[in-house]
Amino acid sequence: MSNGIKILFGAVLGVLYAACGLLQVVQAIFGTMESLEALFIPGNIFSGSVLLVIGTVFLTGVRKLSIGTEEGMPFIYVGILFSVGIGLVELLALCALGADAYLVGEWADWSAADAVNPLLYLAVIGVLGLLAWGKEFFRGARAA
Amino acid sequence: MMEGTCPLALLAAGTEAKVTDVRAGRGMQARLLGMGFCPDARVTVQCADRGSIIVSVGDARYALSRGIAMKIFVGIAKGSA
Amino acid sequence: MTREIRIALTGNPNVGKTTLFNALTGSRQHVGNWPGVTVEKKTGKVSRNGCEFEVVDLPGTYSLTAYSADEVIARDFILDEKPDVVVQVVDATNLERNLYLTTQLAELRTPLVIALNMADMAEAQGNPIDYRKLSGFLEIPIVRTVGTRGEGLQDLLDAAVKEAKTSPHHEHTIGYGNEAEEMIAKLTDPLSADRTLSGKYPLRWLAVKLLEGDENVLAKVRGGAASARVQSILSSINSDEYEATMADKRYEAIAAILPQVHRTNTRGTTFSDMVDRVVTNRYLGIPIFLALMWGAFELTFTVATPFMTVIDTLTVWLAEFAVASIEPAWLGSLIGDGIISGVGAVLIFLPNILILFLILALLEDSGYLARAAFIMDRPLYALGLPGKAFIPMLIGFGCNVPAIMATRSIESEKDRLISILVNPFMSCSARLPVYVLFAGAFFGAHAGGVMFFLYVLGIAVAIASAKLFRSTILPGEVSPFVMEMPPYRLPTAMTSLMHMWSRGSMYLRKAGTIILLGAMLVWALASFPYGVEYGSAESFAGMLGHLVEPLVAPLGFDWKVAVALIFGFLAKEVVVGSLGVLYGAGEESLTDALFADPSLSAATALALMVFVLLYMPCVAALGVIKKETGSWKWTGFAVAYGIVVAWVLAFVVGHLAPFFIGGA
Repeated sequence: MSNGIKILFGAVLGVLYAACGLLQVVQAIFGTMESLEALFIPGNIFSGSVLLVIGTVFLTGVRKLSIGTEEGMPFIYVGILFSVGIGLVELLALCALGADAYLVGEWADWSAADAVNPLLYLAVIGVLGLLAWGKEFFRGARAA
Repeated sequence: MMEGTCPLALLAAGTEAKVTDVRAGRGMQARLLGMGFCPDARVTVQCADRGSIIVSVGDARYALSRGIAMKIFVGIAKGSA
Repeated sequence: MTREIRIALTGNPNVGKTTLFNALTGSRQHVGNWPGVTVEKKTGKVSRNGCEFEVVDLPGTYSLTAYSADEVIARDFILDEKPDVVVQVVDATNLERNLYLTTQLAELRTPLVIALNMADMAEAQGNPIDYRKLSGFLEIPIVRTVGTRGEGLQDLLDAAVKEAKTSPHHEHTIGYGNEAEEMIAKLTDPLSADRTLSGKYPLRWLAVKLLEGDENVLAKVRGGAASARVQSILSSINSDEYEATMADKRYEAIAAILPQVHRTNTRGTTFSDMVDRVVTNRYLGIPIFLALMWGAFELTFTVATPFMTVIDTLTVWLAEFAVASIEPAWLGSLIGDGIISGVGAVLIFLPNILILFLILALLEDSGYLARAAFIMDRPLYALGLPGKAFIPMLIGFGCNVPAIMATRSIESEKDRLISILVNPFMSCSARLPVYVLFAGAFFGAHAGGVMFFLYVLGIAVAIASAKLFRSTILPGEVSPFVMEMPPYRLPTAMTSLMHMWSRGSMYLRKAGTIILLGAMLVWALASFPYGVEYGSAESFAGMLGHLVEPLVAPLGFDWKVAVALIFGFLAKEVVVGSLGVLYGAGEESLTDALFADPSLSAATALALMVFVLLYMPCVAALGVIKKETGSWKWTGFAVAYGIVVAWVLAFVVGHLAPFFIGGA
């Protein structure tokens, strides 16, 4: 019944992830767009590629749903899980870097802003999706 | 009720079928029979877009390489796709 | 007053035998959610109500006709060791296939009890099983168990005791139809003449197995009193046909019972199927796998940093304190420079290693590991390995010893040998300290990239070697890929943390034993003969190092590195431990000491890391290679091949690197 919302949600997240991923990879190779740093999109081939993968999962789901096959739904769900999972990894990494800077006494020079990247803040949207549809999805997991 | 038989490897994803014959040679034959691929078992192809396929037999899911799936012959039950 | 009762746990793969075993005996054997976790029989003891039990956990098998090395272990134990009771662990959510093995076990006439495991899951799925009724049909006692929660254990032991005390029975056998029964009768006749055989196994079972063409039973008959007559009967029939029809009859018998004891409603598309459609997607499967690996990498190396800083600070402080305050001075030096610097240099990496093992535990417990094998099947096939070989490769990131054992579930001997020989190139956790240390000291911000390169290099060398072996010394077809995909399960924090700890504590034990010994040995070599300056060229360590130095000099390594590499054979962490001792870290951390050494450049450091990655399996890995291949020739080959590959690649990397990193 809420397929429309899921398609929209998947499309928005998919485009955001894919776009940020593309920008990160381009930035890492050419390193020319300074304005991107201000948007917290640092150049990095690895995390850029991960963003691209997550974006593609969402967009594949959207494509399948929009031509009317229910098969697209798992892609949206797995995309959400993926987004939240990797976001969690990034959050842990951020905390770890901060803690380390504090321990070696470089706390004053450290700024969380340097470590923020799309994998982290896009996951916040993913969490919303998990809150909305997580139950529905995991009901299957428990029965399986 | 059967429309002839064909190797399991040739079925499209989502197709349900009934095993008619398994001809896999020593060892592998026993393994496949033990896994539930015996004549009359109902199987469903879950995923068929790689070098190997995933097939369900009852509630179990198996990955089979195409080579093995060519040796399991199935009849497509009437009524299913 | 009572003798010990020996119970063998058998059953299909991944039905929860080891979980039940752990619950019964209080052991902590490794469990996971993929078929083939247990590849060796494991024994545990338990005593209940004045009864002593020896419980044997066996590898999973689909039938009593064994196909792979782990199945042979399971079959041979049941056939030849004659346990007092065989407990078949049955997955209640997958009854039909599990009962197929039951029909074969029943023919053996061994006392048999069924543990209807995962009964809670079957009930949750709306498929409760009337197991009392089922027990009546099969004439086999059935106990409802839930291994994960330890339910039904007492009942199971009680049933086992009762069954062990009853004389052999199970007259309930399956009729295989006129034609087959005639053949069975024909075969039984000559078989009864073979006293040794008929005394050991039921005649009907022997005849059935012969009719199926079971190689193992045929080998038992060969040379015996019945050999000639049996062979002449068998030569007139096509056993493939009989095997199929007899299997058919067994399933028919099961199908006749099942509808009466539970509602067989096969669920359509499950949660696992939905997830599989995404993660095994033709285009997305491998990218998703790589993205997950990236996440694992990030966790292992970034998240551990603050913990490492704490341990590092502590060890440096302790070593300094020991050297300064313990009298006499030589003892202070042994404790400070030797033990604390050496073991501490290795302990720093405990956080990385714990996280790495946690990730591997999550991979194993969730069920994704089997999918990784599935998506890698095609690329690996092209390189001459079956997809199944990918599982040992991933486990090798933790430790090569269990990884090499895990190759037992690979059916073809050649495939298995190749998998064993290339496994040491998968970068195990013991090599990680070397990378973190040198990459951290010489590559600063690019350390992550360098470590990633090393892991990829390890995989690349493993794959290239597999291809090489396949096209030269071990030619042949890749065995076909057949593997069960277990349903996904949410790993519980408790079990995953337990796995992490059981493997992580092995690392700690290693630090306390072999690495400690290595560190003390290196310290002694560096301090004697009496009177020389600690760690100087005149010490034993210096002499040994200088002896070997010419061999590694082309790679840019000096004598200290040479000594560290020699002792690294004990365990690869010892490379770091030895350097910790030789550089006598003292007031500065080992990282700074290495960086300050003029004989080490970034290029040399890279060459060293490449060398350590590839040069040879550690003692423990060599031991298991010998055990699994059963050949000194192949073990020696693994060592020689590793050293040659390592030397060549380290040479190339060391001499090419300056062009890329600008001598940084």
